[in-house]
Amino acid sequence: MALGTLDRSLPPFFNQGPSVLSKLVFFGALSLFLMVADARFNMTRPIRAAIATALTPVQWLAVQPVRAVRDASRYFIDLNQAQSESAQAKERLALQSVRAGQVEQLAQENNRLRQLLALKEQLALPVMAAEVLYDAADPYSRKVIIDRGQAHQVDLGSPVLDESGVLGQVTRVHPLVSEVTLVIDRDLAIPVLNVRTGARSVAYGDASVGGSGMELRFMGSNADVQEGDLLTTSGVDGVYPPGLPVARVSRIEHRAESAFSKIYCMPLALTSGARHVIVVKPATADLALRPPPGSPVAPGQRGAVK
Amino acid sequence: MMMRSGQQLLLPASPVFIWTSLVMALLVNMLPLGRVPWMPDFLALVLVFWTVHQPLRVGIGIAFMFGLAMDVHQTSLLGQHAFSYTLLSFLAALIQRRLLWFKVPLQAMQVLPLFAAAHAAEIALRLLGGGIFPGWIVLLAPLGEALLWPLASVLLLAPQLRAPDRDENRPL
Repeated sequence: MALGTLDRSLPPFFNQGPSVLSKLVFFGALSLFLMVADARFNMTRPIRAAIATALTPVQWLAVQPVRAVRDASRYFIDLNQAQSESAQAKERLALQSVRAGQVEQLAQENNRLRQLLALKEQLALPVMAAEVLYDAADPYSRKVIIDRGQAHQVDLGSPVLDESGVLGQVTRVHPLVSEVTLVIDRDLAIPVLNVRTGARSVAYGDASVGGSGMELRFMGSNADVQEGDLLTTSGVDGVYPPGLPVARVSRIEHRAESAFSKIYCMPLALTSGARHVIVVKPATADLALRPPPGSPVAPGQRGAVK
Repeated sequence: MMMRSGQQLLLPASPVFIWTSLVMALLVNMLPLGRVPWMPDFLALVLVFWTVHQPLRVGIGIAFMFGLAMDVHQTSLLGQHAFSYTLLSFLAALIQRRLLWFKVPLQAMQVLPLFAAAHAAEIALRLLGGGIFPGWIVLLAPLGEALLWPLASVLLLAPQLRAPDRDENRPL
């Protein structure tokens, strides 16, 4: 038997380095410091970016098996289903092309009217397509990771849409990927406009309602809100361009003890399972007033958290 | 050197194998399976295992580094996993000399409070920081980790249980 075969040697008495307790105190304090720096002072961006870049190959490797399983299961979809999906898509395309034709004309008309009234012209939005890499596994927040980052000129605070509505907002930009906080996260607030009445309010994420929901806060119990009302972005925040669909009112609870009623909304975007998304440049260009560049989400968010 | 009677003498652990197992556990943790609060933390399990079996090689410092990697991957508060893994590694180092005197199922019962403490620290930190409560199902995570302990003991000790001298009758 070779020397050194026995695994358990007695630990050396003198060169053990710092004791376990002192290591615990050191690393515990370091992680507490990091948490405070991260949550309160936003100082950890370079550390995060460095670790994220170093982790990118490992993450790529981890995504592969799940993606392979998903692609394989899609390969075996029934032919009938594929055909019916294709027929539905064509139908939707036909409907949309009718609307698109009208929109062209309306946009022209709108432009002319705006010129007549000497209003500012609405600019076309620069957009960028991106793919959702994975849902962040953190159960205490609602975020997804997309495959576009600093290298692709993603701006902090850009709104992110999917095909049916506003999905969320870019809250961290790494060199190659970005984090998108979903509209159902508790820390995200969106100024919205009720399309039916024209009343403006603010929708907050409220993930506690069955896992995916939003809430319209501070609406008086006599406010004119009905179930099924469509809420779109109002554009007063200078981040979201106006007119993007956000959510639909799903339930209204009038409460006797409170002057406010509780209004639940369902987001229109796919908050779980969205795959292809669009990143829009924040609409700050044509506004005099803009939020300070340090604050990633809509103004009023910090103080309003419960 | 003292050890449990009837226990096999182990070969020395290879550092390459230790690091490979840690990175594999990180990979398993990173599988994009969505938001599953009850998912056992494989990296925590492997870290505790090596802290108990190889306290001179794997300790609090390594646990802290892997915790930071998990934080960035999960987009959680930077330092949240680092803190819970630091705590876990410290507790594992405390019971390390006692734990190996027990049989594997009893070891699993003794590491359960460790995992529970680490998860409790994580939940407390996040709720203080204003996070969404993930639901009581999160209590299943430490239980799952403790139940995986026997499996980890078999898989991670397998290379050390080989015979020191190969011969034809015992190929492994």
